[in-house]
Amino acid sequence: MGDTATILTEVFFETISFWWVIVPTIFLGLIVGGIPGFSAANTIIILMPLTLSMSLETGLIFMVSLYCSARMGAGIPAILVNIPGTAGAAATPLDGYPMTKQGKGQQALAMTFVASSLGGLLTTIIALAAMPLLARVGFYMHSVEMIVVMLFGISLIASIAAQDMLKGLIAGFLGLMIGSIGTDVVYATPRGTFGFLELYDGVPLIPALVGLFAVSEAFMIIEKRLIITEDAQKAMARPSWHATFEGVGIAFKRWWHITWTSLIGLVIGVIPGAGASIASFVAYQQSRSFSKTPEKYGTGHPEGLIAPESANNGVTSGTLVPLLVLGIPGGATAAIMLVVMQFHGVSFGPSLFEESPKVGYGMFMAMAVSYFLMILTILPLSRYMSRVTTVPTIYLAPMIISFTLVGAFVPREYMFDMYLALAFGVLGYIARRTGYHVAAILIGVILGPLLERYFLWSLKKSDGDISILFSSTLGNILWVGLVLSLVVPIWLDMRRKKNAQKDQEEIPIQ
Amino acid sequence: MPLDPKDPPRQLGGELVIPVLAVAFTLYYFSSIWNSPWTAQVSAFMVGGILLLVCAMFFLRAILWLSRGQASLGVGNLFSIEDLRTGRIGLIATTVAFCVFIDQLGFTLTTFLFLALSMIILSKGKSPLLIVAISAVMALGGWAVFIWAFDTRFPRGWFEGVMQAVIANG
Repeated sequence: MGDTATILTEVFFETISFWWVIVPTIFLGLIVGGIPGFSAANTIIILMPLTLSMSLETGLIFMVSLYCSARMGAGIPAILVNIPGTAGAAATPLDGYPMTKQGKGQQALAMTFVASSLGGLLTTIIALAAMPLLARVGFYMHSVEMIVVMLFGISLIASIAAQDMLKGLIAGFLGLMIGSIGTDVVYATPRGTFGFLELYDGVPLIPALVGLFAVSEAFMIIEKRLIITEDAQKAMARPSWHATFEGVGIAFKRWWHITWTSLIGLVIGVIPGAGASIASFVAYQQSRSFSKTPEKYGTGHPEGLIAPESANNGVTSGTLVPLLVLGIPGGATAAIMLVVMQFHGVSFGPSLFEESPKVGYGMFMAMAVSYFLMILTILPLSRYMSRVTTVPTIYLAPMIISFTLVGAFVPREYMFDMYLALAFGVLGYIARRTGYHVAAILIGVILGPLLERYFLWSLKKSDGDISILFSSTLGNILWVGLVLSLVVPIWLDMRRKKNAQKDQEEIPIQ
Repeated sequence: MPLDPKDPPRQLGGELVIPVLAVAFTLYYFSSIWNSPWTAQVSAFMVGGILLLVCAMFFLRAILWLSRGQASLGVGNLFSIEDLRTGRIGLIATTVAFCVFIDQLGFTLTTFLFLALSMIILSKGKSPLLIVAISAVMALGGWAVFIWAFDTRFPRGWFEGVMQAVIANG
């Protein structure tokens, strides 16, 4: 215990001394995270020669800082222009963008920065303290349990569908159908690919994200001179630090909300193969389910913004746990980190903390220090970032289209992906004009293939016996949790309405 | 859903586009897996079956509203004269052109042309010099950051080729 404390203190001071690497990397991460197609993983790959030429400590701190800041950066365009930088920020615009339209973009950014940093910092500390325990989560989460986790996220479709159930369900199930394009995971039979080889691997997420959110939004916003309302425009004409402090205050008041939603992110992040998109949808849905004011979600409600942002930053520390303890990368970025660290002769796995404890603890410390420095460096910028919304749409819309469409090309370098993004853009535009929720389509596209994969694995294991879905204790507990999370809010809502009606009846008529 | 008799009938034509697309896609999808192993079929038949059912309910509701005169088959919520007035049709056309030409002309030149043309369409020809300047700065900025600095594999054309030769030869 004493040795560990000494190592942690040493590592902390060593990491802090690398501020000159962390601060520029934070800004790089914010930029690449904000542009669809330029995730932290892509950037680390692009800068691989540079990373490999760095010393082990510098390379490690660079990668971890970039990973954290890119995650946070993805939320900025999601809030300001309704374009999530990565799939992990796909739930952020649900409440972030309405806040921007109301002229509260600066508050929303400040709230996001605090929620992301606190969520990331908190989960890093917890991950550090409970690493052996968390590493076991991956062992217990099999395909059956993962099906229920996916359903937690997919149940958000039902909430989105609340305004017009039929339209919401059509959008959600259409997304699930689109998500099942590609070869099946068992026999690799091509399905619904229209003969395009580029679709055999399934629908790539970035073109879907770019089309449904960015391109369709660009086609929509040109109806108005600015994306914000006239009242908001007047408020934005007098920018002040007050709005930033207000956002910080709102986020700090909801510290408990940040805590439990970031823990959702941590637990989901620990599971190899799960990711930030699942975590943010699940956190948003759970936040809404247990809120006293669920009807405010989707209209610019602070908790609707805090939940997905805390959760997707909680995932970052979670993905490091299986990487460090078991040598299994929890995501694409962690896999690249594994390659770079192996190049430096560091092998991950149970022996890491005995052979190179400074590397193991150093990665978490780099994450904690990055989050700490991030809040100090980014928070003051929220005032200036929010000015993006005052750029006239005649300039903004073409810029959004050109840079995001090229972003769709980057991950796979297929021209096909640009056309696919355009097709999704047209679909998203039709959906927006006719009252279908593009977020419901995207949830299906993101979670559909994962759900199908786990479902098929389960059926394959049981020779087609569907009762396998209820065969594990943890799975059954999760099923009960899922049912409760769907039923309890309805019951609470009915009780609230009943009480309100009762109160109204008790008011004496004057 | 009871509608206010004072309100104009709800225009359902546009709202039917997504369900019609959904049904067409689902039927095509089913046809592509008809003779496939059960692993390729099971979840698609489940999800697709529910989607067809929900779409059928939507169509029934639409027929009910149409028969009561509460809705029409108008497509005003999808296409209107505003699309021409705001330059939306022009923006969609230039976006398609951007995708078609970027492979031949490269990122920088196509982005410049796309930005300039679409901004001029949207501004109805106002401040062309400012628009050209903004487009040039954005396109060159994109080239400098993504191609020159990061060496990202953006589509490349003669401009990128010339610049690469210039930089390589000092």
